[in-house]
Amino acid sequence: MIRNTRTKRISIASALIAAGAMVLSTVPAQAAETTGVTATTIKLGISSPKTGSAGLVYGKLPGAMKAYFDYINANGGVNGRKITLVARDDKYLPTLAATQTKNLILDDKVFALVGALGTATHARAYTAASLAKNNVPDLFVNTGFSGFTNKAKYPTAFAVLPSYAMEAKIMAKFIKDNPTLAPQASFLIAQDDEFGIDGVGGFKAAGHTFTKPPTLYPQGGLTAALAEGALTLLSAAPGKPVLVLFGTTDSTATILKAAEKLALTTKFTFIAGSVGGDANTLLALGVKATTVDGILAASFFPDAKDSTDEYVKQFTAINTKYNKGVTFDNIVLQGMNSAMLTVQALRAAGKNLTRTGLIKAIESKGSTFASAGLLPLNYSATSRVGYNGYWFGQLNAKGELKPFGGKLSLYTTDSTAGLVTASTFVRKSIPKNGIPNN
Amino acid sequence: MQFTTAVLTSLSSGAIYALMSIALVLVWRSTRVVNFAQAGQAVLTTYIGYEVIQRTGSYWIALVAAIVSGALIGAFIDRFFMRPIFKRVTSGPIVLIAPVVATLGLLGIIQAIIGIVWGLNIQSIQTPVANDGFNVNGTVIAFSLFNAFVLGTVTLTMILLTLLFQKTNIGLALRASAYSPEIAKLSGIRVDAVRTLGWAIAGAAGGLAGMLYIPGASLDPNAMDILLVFGFIAAVIGGLESMAGAVAGAMVLGFAINFATTYISTTLVFLTAFAILILVLLIRPSGLFASKKSRSA
Amino acid sequence: MLKHLAKKDSAKVHSTKHATKKRLLLFILAGWALLIISNQVEDLTLSRGAYIATFAVGIASIILLTGYSGQLSLGHSALMAVGAYAGALTINNLKWHPVIALIMAALIAGIFGLILGIAVARLSGPYLAGTTLALAVSLPSLANQFPILGGTQGLGFDVGFAPARFGEEFSQDKWFFWIAALAALIMIWFVANIAASRYGRTFRAMRDNPTAAQLSGINVAREKVIAFAISAAVAGLAGGLLVMLATGVSPSAFPLSLSFSLLTGAVVTGVYNLKGVILGGLVLVAIPEIAEALVSRIGGSEDLAVSLPGFLVSALLILAVMFTPNGPGHIFKSKH
Repeated sequence: MIRNTRTKRISIASALIAAGAMVLSTVPAQAAETTGVTATTIKLGISSPKTGSAGLVYGKLPGAMKAYFDYINANGGVNGRKITLVARDDKYLPTLAATQTKNLILDDKVFALVGALGTATHARAYTAASLAKNNVPDLFVNTGFSGFTNKAKYPTAFAVLPSYAMEAKIMAKFIKDNPTLAPQASFLIAQDDEFGIDGVGGFKAAGHTFTKPPTLYPQGGLTAALAEGALTLLSAAPGKPVLVLFGTTDSTATILKAAEKLALTTKFTFIAGSVGGDANTLLALGVKATTVDGILAASFFPDAKDSTDEYVKQFTAINTKYNKGVTFDNIVLQGMNSAMLTVQALRAAGKNLTRTGLIKAIESKGSTFASAGLLPLNYSATSRVGYNGYWFGQLNAKGELKPFGGKLSLYTTDSTAGLVTASTFVRKSIPKNGIPNN
Repeated sequence: MQFTTAVLTSLSSGAIYALMSIALVLVWRSTRVVNFAQAGQAVLTTYIGYEVIQRTGSYWIALVAAIVSGALIGAFIDRFFMRPIFKRVTSGPIVLIAPVVATLGLLGIIQAIIGIVWGLNIQSIQTPVANDGFNVNGTVIAFSLFNAFVLGTVTLTMILLTLLFQKTNIGLALRASAYSPEIAKLSGIRVDAVRTLGWAIAGAAGGLAGMLYIPGASLDPNAMDILLVFGFIAAVIGGLESMAGAVAGAMVLGFAINFATTYISTTLVFLTAFAILILVLLIRPSGLFASKKSRSA
Repeated sequence: MLKHLAKKDSAKVHSTKHATKKRLLLFILAGWALLIISNQVEDLTLSRGAYIATFAVGIASIILLTGYSGQLSLGHSALMAVGAYAGALTINNLKWHPVIALIMAALIAGIFGLILGIAVARLSGPYLAGTTLALAVSLPSLANQFPILGGTQGLGFDVGFAPARFGEEFSQDKWFFWIAALAALIMIWFVANIAASRYGRTFRAMRDNPTAAQLSGINVAREKVIAFAISAAVAGLAGGLLVMLATGVSPSAFPLSLSFSLLTGAVVTGVYNLKGVILGGLVLVAIPEIAEALVSRIGGSEDLAVSLPGFLVSALLILAVMFTPNGPGHIFKSKH
C-alpha cells in the first residue's frame, strides 16, 4: 500500500492557512449613506425592460428620464451636483432584474434607484439586492402593484403610479354609473401576468361581477387565432357588451385587429387599460383609426398630445432638445415626470445628501411636489402611495384621449375596499421653465 | 359558430406551421441537422421584406425579395458554416450535436444582428389583401381573403415541392443525397452542391413563412421563435420523413392547440403542444408518418 | 496469462481507489481555497461567484447527459424549474430548513427526470431534442395553472441571513456564495465520481456505439433513463440555487434561452469532461459584463447594448464548435 504523505501535508497546511485567513480577515465597513454622491455628481440607477412586450410599452422610459436630468444638469444641476442615470436592461425577467439591480448597487454603486419597473421583477430585485438592508432609496417604482406601498416589507420604496386595483375600481364605478353601459353584459380579457391579473382583483374588490369569468391569455402567447376564438365566443352575448382589455399594447392591438376582422368593432364598447391603451402604439401596430375612435380609457396624466397643457408643452420642448429622435408620448411624459419628482426630492433633501435624508424628504414634502399628474400625490410619514386616482376619457380617431362627456372628472380611491370618491384636486402649476425651485 | 371559428383558425395556423415544418424536414432530410437557425433566417428575411415595403410600398415585391434572400441566406449558411463544421468535426460523439449547437449559435447571432441593425421595437407589416372575415349568410366568419391567400400559397408550395422532389432530376438528386450520400456520390451526384440546394429551398420556404405569418402578428427579432417551436414539434409529430408528414403534423398540432384553447382554456397553448407531442411519440416513437423501414435517427 | 491479467486488473482497481481519494482531496482543497478567497473579496465578486457556481452545476448536468451519455436535451431549463419550485414549496409550505429545500430540489427534479426519461427512452436524436424543447417551452406555463405554484408572481425563497455567530459584517452575498459554492463542489464531485465509475463507462459505451453496447449486455434503455434521472437531479439543484440567489422563483425565470445558455457553456468549455465546468459558468456570467463594458467603451446605441451579449455568446458558441469541438483543452494536447 502506498502511503501518500504529500497529500497529508497539503491538507494540514491548507487547514492552517484557512484558519489563519479567517482570523485575520476583516470586511471593511461601508459608508453606505452617501454612496454614489460626490461633491459634483449624483448617480442614480434604473433596471427596466428594453425588449419584448413590456419593452414595447416601457422601452422609452430611461431615455426620457435621462433627457430631463440632462436638462436640469444644463441648468445648474441639484445643489451644484450633476445627475447621472445608469440604465440596465432586465428584459422583464425577475432573475435578470435581481442581477441587474445587484449590479447597480454593488458595481455601479448608485445612490438611489429610480423608476424600477415591473411587479414580479422588482419584487425579486428588492429582496435579492438587499435594498432594505442597504437602505437604498427606491423611488417612484413603475408598477401598478399596490404591494410596494407596504412600508414594513419595502421600507425604502415609493410608488408613483396609481395601482391597477385603483384603475379597475374606478372603471367598475364608471360602468355602474353610466346608464348606457350598466345594463349591458360585461367581459374581461386579461393578460396572465401583472398587467392583467391585478386588474381582475381590482374589479373583484369593487364588487363588479363580469357576465363570464375573465378570459386569460399567457404573456406573449396571444395569437390572432386565440383572439378570434375568444371574441367569437363573447360576441354571442346580446346587446352591446362592455369589453375590458387589460394587458400590454401588442396584445390589445391583436384583440382589436381580430375584432376588425370579424366585423365586431361596433359590437362591443371597448375599455382599454392604461398600459395597453396607448393610442399611438395601437395605431402604429396597425389598428384602424376608426376602431380606436370611441375606445374608453382611464388616465391620471394629461394626454401626451394635448399641447395646451403646460407640463406637456414644457416636457415636449425638453424632449425635442435632449431626447433626439424619440417621439413624445405617454411613456416619455411619465418618465420626465418621475425625473422631475426625483429632482424635487433631491433638492428637498438638501446639500448634505444622504439616503435616509432623501427618504425623509419625500415623506415630509413629497405631497407638495409639482407634477404633471392631474391627481394628488399621497406621500407622508405613513404612506408610500403616489397618485391615487384616475380620470375617465375617450379616444378619438387621432388617438387623443379626451375627458368623457367633455368634462374632466377626477376620482380617487385606494387599492383595497375603500370607496371611489370624486376629487376636486387642482394640480400645482409647473415651475418656471420646468426647473424645480422647491 | 365557435366550432366554425375553431376549424378555420386551425387551418390558418396549421398552414403557417406547415411551412416551417417543411423547411425543417427539408434540412433534416438532406443534412441530418435540426436547423434551429430556421427561425432566425425566416425573421431576417421578413425584416428584409419590411425594408422593401418601406421603400417600395409593395408587399408583393417584398414577398419575392424575402423568398429570394431566404434562398441565398440558406445557401450561404450551408456553404460557409455547415460545410466547414462537417469537415472539421469528424470524430467523436460531438458529431451528433455539433451541427445542432452551431445552428443555435447562428440563431443567436442573427437575432442580435437584427437587433443592432433594425432596433428592438415592434414593427408591423400590413396584410397585402383585406383581412376582413368573409360574410357568409349574414355572419362574419373568422376567415378572410388573407387567410385564403395563406392557405392557397401553402398548398401551392406543397404541390410545387412535391413535383420537384418526385418528378425532376434535381429532386431525385436531393432524395438520393439525403438517403445515401456515398452511393449518390458514386453515381456522380455532387452531394455538397445538392445539399446546399436543399438549404436554399428550406431558406426560401422560411422566407415565405415569415411574410405570410407576420402580417397577422407583429415583427420583432423574436417574432418567429414560437413558430420554430411549433414547426419543430409539427415536424417531429409528422415523422421527419416526408413533406406530407410535415404538413400533416402541422395540421394535427394546429387543430389540437386551437381547439384546446377554444374549448378548454386560453392558457393552454404550450401545454397542449407538449401533450400532443408526447401522445404521438408514445404511440409511434418515430412520428405519425414514419415508415417502418425508416433510417434510425 | 491469466495471472498477468489479474495483476493488471488489481492494479487498475487500486489506481481507481487512488484516483477517487485524490479526487476527494482535490475538491476539499478547492473548498478551502474558496473559503479563503471569499474573505478577501468584495460583495459584488461574491455575488458573481455564486452565479458562476450555480451555472457550473447546470453545465455539469448537461455534460453528464450529453457529453457522457450522448443524449441531447434542450429542456434542462424546465428541469431546473422543477427543482426550483420544489425547493420553494419546501421552504414556504413545509417550512423546512433551506438545506433540506436544496436537497428536495435535486430529489424532486431527479424523480421527474426519471419519469420523463422512461417516457422518452425510445426516442433519440431529434425526437428527444424536440420533446425536451416542447417541455422547456410548456412547463413554465404550468405554474399558472395551479395556484399553489404562485402564478406569474411566483413564490419566494428565503434562506435567511447567515447565522449570528458569523457576525454583523457577514454579508448576504457571502452567505449565498458559501452555500452555492459548497453545493456546487459537492455536486460536481458527485458527477465526477459517476463519470469515473462503472456507470460512467457504461454511459460512454452507450454514447459511442449503442448497438455494440446493447450486444455486450448493457441495457441501453435503462442506462439512458438512469443518466437522465441523475442529470435532472443535478439540474434541479442548479435551479434551487438560482432561486436562492434571486430570492424567489417565477415562471419567467426559466425561459428556453436558459437551456441554450447551458448548452453553450457546456460546448464552449468542452462537453466531454467536467474540467471546464467552472470556466463555463464563468463565461456565462462574464459575457454580459464584458458586453456592457464594451458598449460603454465604444459608446454604442441602446440597441447595441441590449443585443451585444447575445451576439457574443452565440459567436463564442459557433467558434467553439468550429475550432474546439472537443473542448479548449484539446488544442494544447499534442496530436497522437
